[in-house]
Amino acid sequence: MDLINLNIMGPLIPLGHIATGWDFVIALLIGIAFGFILEASGFSSSRNITGVFYGYNFVVLRVFMTAVVVAMIGLLYFNYMGWIDLNLVFVLPTYLNSMIAGSLIMGLGFVLGGFCPGTSYTAIAIGKIDAIVFTAGLFLGIFIFSEAFPLIEGFYNGGNLGSITMGEMFGVSNQIVAFSFVIIALIAFYVTWLIEKKVRRKITPYKFE
Amino acid sequence: MNKNYIFLAALLIILAGGLLFLPEKNNQVQENPENLMWDIAQPTRYVTTDQVAKMIIEKDPLFQLVDVRQNYDYEYFSLPGAYNVPIDSLLTEISDIILDTDDINTILYSDDDIKADQAWVIAKRMGYNNIYVMKGGLNCWIRTIIQPEAPPETAPITDLELYEFRKGASLFFTGAAISVDTDNKQGLKITRKKKETVAEGGC
Amino acid sequence: MDTVKNDNYIPKYINPYFGGVLLGILLLVTFYITGRGLGASGAVKSAVVTTVEKVAPKHAGDNAYYDKFISSDHSPMYNWLVFESIGMVLGGLISGVLFGRVKKLRIEHSPKITGRTRLIAAGIGGILFGIGSQLSRGCSSGAALSGTGAFSFGGLLVMVLMFGGGYLFAYFFRKLWI
Repeated sequence: MDLINLNIMGPLIPLGHIATGWDFVIALLIGIAFGFILEASGFSSSRNITGVFYGYNFVVLRVFMTAVVVAMIGLLYFNYMGWIDLNLVFVLPTYLNSMIAGSLIMGLGFVLGGFCPGTSYTAIAIGKIDAIVFTAGLFLGIFIFSEAFPLIEGFYNGGNLGSITMGEMFGVSNQIVAFSFVIIALIAFYVTWLIEKKVRRKITPYKFE
Repeated sequence: MNKNYIFLAALLIILAGGLLFLPEKNNQVQENPENLMWDIAQPTRYVTTDQVAKMIIEKDPLFQLVDVRQNYDYEYFSLPGAYNVPIDSLLTEISDIILDTDDINTILYSDDDIKADQAWVIAKRMGYNNIYVMKGGLNCWIRTIIQPEAPPETAPITDLELYEFRKGASLFFTGAAISVDTDNKQGLKITRKKKETVAEGGC
Repeated sequence: MDTVKNDNYIPKYINPYFGGVLLGILLLVTFYITGRGLGASGAVKSAVVTTVEKVAPKHAGDNAYYDKFISSDHSPMYNWLVFESIGMVLGGLISGVLFGRVKKLRIEHSPKITGRTRLIAAGIGGILFGIGSQLSRGCSSGAALSGTGAFSFGGLLVMVLMFGGGYLFAYFFRKLWI
């Protein structure tokens, strides 16, 4: 059933619809949009970001959950309308062992550093030295990992479940996953709104520089 | 609580809920399985897109791909590792070097099989051996390997196995090969296809 | 307790839900065009690979991890994520200029700690994040955001455990932020 017939089916680059020279121009443009949205939402400030862990600023949760939900719903509708072939969209493969370890380590790094790689780029753009140091740390961390790689190669590849989707993992359709995410997100938005109001009354307002 | 937010939240629920009620898409197209024997003693002209995909994935050393379309088409999109010998250049010296092989199988292809068939006839008349044509050409390649259609559940097991192979091949060719381990059980299931007898295909 | 309201400067940010919708649409468009999502740590990885390859090419070739990203045709920096990350800095700059946030180089830190403490924490945080992102095949944008957006279970795992881990460790480092 083709309600609206878009003659070109996505994803464009894997299906050969875009001439090779253009990928990187597109990458640049997408990056500019990404950086702009992040900075405009307040992600260039480490204190805004860590607010999610302490209850005084939930911007991270709001932007993140909204984006995930919009993308999920969008992908499913696009797939249904025949505008994109969901089977060709890259699904991040699951490596249980290293992902569990890596995510916890990232969590610690997140709390200490107050940034993640993407947000640190935007913070560098507006002149934050702590972001520059964070990115330098990233460089060092990746270097350390790569040097140590031969030792942990087995661990790195362990627990490979392949490109498994949430729907497959939980035995439901991806539509149900998307709908559940919406419900969870809305509940989270409401609860964090209440928490934020309460926490902000108690702490020192922070001075933006 | 701002009224706008409540409106937006309701909108979100409606959109997500709508997804749950979308009817299943039904595929009307049925596949017509053709049986081709890949028999070295009696080579037939055509090879299927599945066989070509398998040879690329397994890095078979005994084959080469030749795209017989014009150069700009070849530059725009072609199969990995293919040479370009446009059909009107078949009689030049360079194509002679590519085509004159006794131990390597040359597989010609174009958008459909029209140009490739013509090229095959010319090549055979010039005395080259081991020349084959990929049936259906790149159009069939897209329809079987890149975007394979799922057979209905009542289809014979060979159809379903073929579909599994094609899904894996699709992942391989559209770039997920970077992150998918091909020697892992999930993904390609190539080992099962070593049965070597039936190769079904067709568009 | 300092209860003076620091009104002289409150930065203008866009509504976070609106920002989320924009980001979601961008993510969708990125999937539509490239079949893959967004990412950020990949660019730094390319930088590491390029540097090591320039400085010690034999060692880079021997190491299984670097080797995957070295190609004889072109520099490892010639890569989608690198261009996207350059774009991110530019985009951040544009937004910063638009909203008046581009100022002299400064260290942002809680008044309860020194700038030096903040920098040390940022450095260590960066190192940890670098290690963690390689283990998880992505950072918050690549694995958590884009992975979950494309329904990957791995993406969900990373998202939950990264933020969960953050909450776990947040109590011990609260002095850094509040």
